[in-house]
Amino acid sequence: MQVGLTGLNCEEHLTKPFEFLLKRGNQPPEPRTIAPEDIRALLEAGMAAPSAAPVKPWHFVTIANRFRLQALGAAHTHGAMLAESALAIAVCADPEITGGNWSHEVSGVTQNILLAAVSLGLGTIWIGSHPSEERKAAIRKVLAIPDSVDVLGLVAIGYPSSGKPARAEFHEGRVHEEEW
Amino acid sequence: MRAAFTKKNGSMDKRLDFMFKRRSVRQYNDQPVSPDDIKAILEAAMAAPSASNLKPWHFVVVTSRGLLEELADAHPYGKMLTQAGIAIAVCGDPKISERYWDQDGAAATENILVAASALGLGAVWLGCHPRKERKSAVRKILEIPDNIEVLSLISVGHPAERKPARTQYDETRVHRERW
Repeated sequence: MQVGLTGLNCEEHLTKPFEFLLKRGNQPPEPRTIAPEDIRALLEAGMAAPSAAPVKPWHFVTIANRFRLQALGAAHTHGAMLAESALAIAVCADPEITGGNWSHEVSGVTQNILLAAVSLGLGTIWIGSHPSEERKAAIRKVLAIPDSVDVLGLVAIGYPSSGKPARAEFHEGRVHEEEW
Repeated sequence: MRAAFTKKNGSMDKRLDFMFKRRSVRQYNDQPVSPDDIKAILEAAMAAPSASNLKPWHFVVVTSRGLLEELADAHPYGKMLTQAGIAIAVCGDPKISERYWDQDGAAATENILVAASALGLGAVWLGCHPRKERKSAVRKILEIPDNIEVLSLISVGHPAERKPARTQYDETRVHRERW
């Protein structure tokens, strides 16, 4: 490298031949597939949640097909990340068989899936649908879920491309001792 | 029967031991729950996600024997509260999140149960919302304002019963790609 060929000009010159590589790097890669045993472990963790009675009103639809993930992403206002996730789980419930409140039970289930995913090295986000009838109808349509089955929400899952640090959010003002 | 079911369908992945160990524990010894454990449990609760990150939750922590006994009388499935080290009333402010306060509170409740188990404590979830009589009884005892909802009571203590880790995996509840 010649003395004087420094700074921006030099960098531009050097990177130009590799532009196609950089561009490829900017495209979202096909997400790394989640192993079937890890999918089962996530579902097993979900089903380890408590339920009233206990009647376990939950059902799960797992989606790994790219086109269906894209369709789901398009069907939900806040679902853009689904198109790039490796897996989605629709967390559902049969309201007929619950002895308690199905939406609370399957919220516990959903939270278990989120916690389990961390331990498996996966990243997740909970995308709510209940109580929005509109969102639920859109998801039902893509996944052929019967009208009698309720849809709490979707969990988008994949191997995270960036790390977020652990954090605590302790708010003393939300804690009341003995009485409010 | 249970063992056969587990062997056939469940894998109980070792990495998720802490999840399968969480059981509903209703018998406790008289060892108090330490302030450090209480703080850790509440921190775990507040580590739950909430819709739009609004965190609509409030927690009332009860250690007084008198109040625990009143709560035990007020909840139809709350008898174990007389033996509990603490109770936590998980509440929500619908003004902060009208549509999601209960789902967010349920996620916080589940975090409390998992955290308690990881700390060697035992806990059980006692549902309140949407049952008006349970909510108003708890509200009265804990002087919770009328504009605050009461999702659940959680009974926590040092376990006096041992329940093994278990799976409840049921393949018939899993649908691939579509229902």
